[in-house]
Amino acid sequence: MERRAILDELKKVLYPYTEDKNGLENIDENTNLVKDLKINSANLVDIIIDAEAKYNIEIDFDSAEKIVTVGDCINAIAEKIN
Amino acid sequence: MSTGNDIVALTMMDGDRTSRYRFYSRILSPAELPLYDELADGGLSFSSFVWLMWSIKESVYKYVSRSDRRLVFTPLKIPVSGLRAREDYCEGEIPYGGLTIYSRSFLSDEAIMTVVSEEKEFSDSRWGLQVIGDLGYNNQSDQVRTFALQSLSTVLPGAALRIVKAPDGPPEVWDGDCPLDIPLSLAHHGRYVAWSYRLPANSSS
Repeated sequence: MERRAILDELKKVLYPYTEDKNGLENIDENTNLVKDLKINSANLVDIIIDAEAKYNIEIDFDSAEKIVTVGDCINAIAEKIN
Repeated sequence: MSTGNDIVALTMMDGDRTSRYRFYSRILSPAELPLYDELADGGLSFSSFVWLMWSIKESVYKYVSRSDRRLVFTPLKIPVSGLRAREDYCEGEIPYGGLTIYSRSFLSDEAIMTVVSEEKEFSDSRWGLQVIGDLGYNNQSDQVRTFALQSLSTVLPGAALRIVKAPDGPPEVWDGDCPLDIPLSLAHHGRYVAWSYRLPANSSS
């Protein structure tokens, strides 16, 4: 699966937790989940679990703890589905 | 010298989801699960326990990341080794990176606020919590700064206090154009904003 396609789907996962919903349209792989999208850190586990459910994958703890940016999310998903 | 705090609005969290292994196992290590026994008798739900532990770990992360900006928050790597219910708060002990960090958490049915310090008695720490009306991010951010400055102004009356925040750094307290040696930590979630700071060494408060 192309990274671009994962990014588009990831926007749907992030949407409920994102304070800046308009900014979600302009995210790229460098977008920081907490600092740029204003996602509360307490929701980061929710995002991992929602991504796991969406792609029917299990993101291991090592990959999960590296997730800071949108690109990190895509890496963790792509690693499991490709 | 540092400080760290966190606030979790329990009303914004999904308690059922929090209580599932798949969720809480990303926050709690197996060695930390027995800590719940200490608090369960007091009526604390398991999901609130999970968020209590989260708030402690996030506070510790803020405390130590002040001197290590590359640090990434990984709850499982911040071990809470002791947790005890006191009359007004829950105290914890966290050995981390050669430090022993102590936590005090204040719990209600709606929110959990934690503050941490290396100083066990918290005698040089100050903290506070306010409930706000507008949940927008910018308002939360503005309000927590306003309340923190109000508190700081009681310690440093007459100072031209302001809070300066570098994009990738912790908030700093300045007097006019001069940064002060007062570590400050800010947190907000839902209707709650919270702050903590360490008093300057020469403060008599």
